[in-house]
Amino acid sequence: MIDSTASAMKVDSAQAAPDPQLIRIRDLVYQVAGIFQPDNKLRLMADRCEKRMKVLGVATLREYYECLTIKPIRQAELLALLNEITIGETCFFRNQPQLDALRNIVLPQIIEARAKLPLPHLRLWSAACSTGEEPYTLSMLLLEESAGRLKGWTFEILATDLNERSIAQAKLGSYGDYSTRNVTPYYRQKYFVERGENLHVRPEVQAHVSFSRLNFRDDARMAFMKGLDLIMCCNALIYFDGASKRRVIQHFYSNLLPHGYLFLGHSESLYGISDDFRLVHLPSATAYVKGEKRTVAR
Amino acid sequence: MAEEPKEILRKRLGGLEQMPSIPVALAPLLRYLEQPLDRLEMQQVVDLISQDKSLAAQCLHMANSPLFGRWQEVDSIRGAVLALGMQRMRDIAISCSVLKLTPSGQTCLDPTVFWEHSMGCAVVSRRFAKRIGFANPEKAYLAGLLHDLGILVNLWILPKEFTAAFELARTRGIPLHEAELSTLGLTHGDSGRMLAEQWQLTPDLIDVIALHHGVMDGTAHGGLLALVSLSDLLCRMGGLGHGLVEERQIDFLDQPAFALLLKECPSLQTFDWARLTFEMEGYIDEVHRLVALLYRPQ
Repeated sequence: MIDSTASAMKVDSAQAAPDPQLIRIRDLVYQVAGIFQPDNKLRLMADRCEKRMKVLGVATLREYYECLTIKPIRQAELLALLNEITIGETCFFRNQPQLDALRNIVLPQIIEARAKLPLPHLRLWSAACSTGEEPYTLSMLLLEESAGRLKGWTFEILATDLNERSIAQAKLGSYGDYSTRNVTPYYRQKYFVERGENLHVRPEVQAHVSFSRLNFRDDARMAFMKGLDLIMCCNALIYFDGASKRRVIQHFYSNLLPHGYLFLGHSESLYGISDDFRLVHLPSATAYVKGEKRTVAR
Repeated sequence: MAEEPKEILRKRLGGLEQMPSIPVALAPLLRYLEQPLDRLEMQQVVDLISQDKSLAAQCLHMANSPLFGRWQEVDSIRGAVLALGMQRMRDIAISCSVLKLTPSGQTCLDPTVFWEHSMGCAVVSRRFAKRIGFANPEKAYLAGLLHDLGILVNLWILPKEFTAAFELARTRGIPLHEAELSTLGLTHGDSGRMLAEQWQLTPDLIDVIALHHGVMDGTAHGGLLALVSLSDLLCRMGGLGHGLVEERQIDFLDQPAFALLLKECPSLQTFDWARLTFEMEGYIDEVHRLVALLYRPQ
């Protein structure tokens, strides 16, 4: 029997094969920067590469791969591509599964560990806070818990960024539609005030956040960030080379209390960078916890 | 324990009268494809698949999915066998056949979600197997696909009791097998074993179906069992579960399955769990698309 019936049936048109050069670029970006673009984001990544290729005047992905690896511009070009990859990612409630995991699983564990210490106080650090959406989101989440799990507790959120202008913008606490696109009506009404076309973060949210400029390469200041329960550092480590990244991670490790958590950006990994932090899986999210370096029994 | 004693449930399960027999097209295919690859004739495989029109159409949909590594359109079963090879077609044909096992009518667990989890686990198991140099990645696919067969049994034979377990898992945010154990006194591993034995599946598949939530019990096929157990957990934590959120934190290095698999695959010691997690997130959309195409509720 010949499969004539089957051949007559309509099938979905297959997707175009991803260019092997694109896969090479994806793997290079992961290896060097620690941020992974899964298969369903490859189309988007191809667009971003094309944008860069136009700027550079190169015609093929093979040539572009050379720009990222061989040519003298390789470091600058990698930064430019990373900028394209992470562009427009800053907004309130950026990664909801991560925030849910933080609130439902991580926070109760932190509270349990912290309760053994003298002061009922939490200290969080938004380490690459950009224009402030992330630390304000954290402030709102903790305020939501202030009548529940955090009743009787105080908390502070340290928010730092390398960019002075971003910090100035963050302090204003005024945001347009794009930044606030994920804000639900509940949060909008409770924690924002409408002024003209913008939404302003209410003073009680701002009161828990202190902004300052910080360069991760400033070892003295990095060492000063002590006693933290949680560090959130999204899409900042990707810009560091391996050695610098290891140094920053060592600081983070020292900055955190023994029960502390480190959250990175979506699809960001510390693989090959740190053996001290251990990857843990939370529902639709990952985080790093402090753990003793250990040998697994064979 | 529940309203009914465990023994009565076991008796009802033991009969399996209400359970469908192995799908018509599946039995001869499985029998034929169990032979060594070099003894298989392509035309025979094409004929076996083409005997069932709907099966043939479903196989073509799958054969054209990037999940099976096919990026250029195939429009006949013969073309698909040629392009993908006998083993892949075997996986595809079996995947399509088992879709027919879903009970009709309203069930607490949406069958579409169930098949998304099964197919997701199959794809992740195969990927994981390849990454760690596991001996038989295609067997890993099949084992991943069938690992939760017992859930189907529970849906058919114990619908009321299973609904109670499902609700318990949902409201408490605990794994389904734990809820089954406290509600039914048995898990889908126990009921899956009964059906798998009745179908005379191979011993390694029976072990995976029966023991993927208790890997220390199974030693004969420990590697495959551990591999599917970890893939299942990764899917459940990563948004390809049973539509339930397990409110917990997982360190894969602490899982008994990890230690078991490490014995067979030493490269697991330095495995990049983050990357596999991100890769899995990239499969989710395609798994949803494919199951929506293939699965039509009765």
